[in-house]
Amino acid sequence: MADKEVDQQLVERVQRGDKHAFDLLVSKYQRKLGRLISRFVRDPAEAEDVTQDAFIKAYRALPSFRGESAFYTWLYRIGINTAKNYLLANKRRAPSTTIFDTEDAESFEEASLLREVSTPENELMSKQVVDVVQASLQQLPEDLRSALTLREIEGLSYEEIASVMNCPIGTVRSRIFRAREAVAENLRPLLETSKGNRW
Amino acid sequence: MKQEISALMDGELFEDDAEGFLKRIERDSDAHKDWELYHLIGDVLRQPDHIHGDLSAKVRERMRDEPTIFVRRGHAGNQKMLTFALSAAASLSAIGVVAWMSMQIGSEALPSLAMQQNSVRPVKAQIQRYNSDYLMAHQEFSPSTDMNGGASYIRTVSYRSDEK
Repeated sequence: MADKEVDQQLVERVQRGDKHAFDLLVSKYQRKLGRLISRFVRDPAEAEDVTQDAFIKAYRALPSFRGESAFYTWLYRIGINTAKNYLLANKRRAPSTTIFDTEDAESFEEASLLREVSTPENELMSKQVVDVVQASLQQLPEDLRSALTLREIEGLSYEEIASVMNCPIGTVRSRIFRAREAVAENLRPLLETSKGNRW
Repeated sequence: MKQEISALMDGELFEDDAEGFLKRIERDSDAHKDWELYHLIGDVLRQPDHIHGDLSAKVRERMRDEPTIFVRRGHAGNQKMLTFALSAAASLSAIGVVAWMSMQIGSEALPSLAMQQNSVRPVKAQIQRYNSDYLMAHQEFSPSTDMNGGASYIRTVSYRSDEK
């Protein structure tokens, strides 16, 4: 089952009334979408709000998603439109004004409640997460590190990795899992100490 | 379970197994955390400069106010089937039109051929020898032509050989 088909299954579950399935899609695409949106919206806190908005818009639009394109392609289009509309709305709004229309006020209120401005603590946390992952990767045995790198960075399929590493597909599957789990083992203590920061 | 999550997020699990594991990940909070963590690791490896806190909890919070979606079952799948069915119907219609047109052309051509067959009949023309001798002998009395010969008296006739 290809990656695209996993997304399609999750989408169909959401379309059948399973809200939790949407969580899995958010977990999967939140950083990719956030990175895309940050190219339009430079301020990290605003970009985060726009990313959330994009997910909510995507959820609302899911009944019309028919799987003609890949889910992430469709989601990215929504993300770009949301970011552009956000910028457009900001340009129209006078910088010093304190008057918002109803829609703006609602979104402003929601955003204020949920926004976690990019604090030094959060930035430090991000840096620590990156450091732990990269250090863990370097500590992995060569075969595990290569398998994970070929999968995550080069985007190769298990079959392609098996061909490159000259080993069975089952071995590739096992190596990638062991590599992920080894990195995850090092990350868990760090993330558990920062539950309040929603890592 | 973790190994299956790892394979599932890479799109390397069989379809039948995938559906079951997706359900389990949704229900099992530990499995859900592993799903998130494995994706975080992948994101860090691909884009270490753009790592932020988990947004899913915030999105989930906002989703509480959103209505649950119910799309008619199999709607997405039916759309593909509908597209296929319409394509097939269009192809069949085209074949039907072509077949009908060729039948029309055929049925128009046949009567004309039949008429031609009726109108053009081979006739064996023979000048009977005894008449010929007589006419040749009296050709100068021919009233209808200036030709001095028996041509105007010649008639094309046919007869069957068994008739006397």
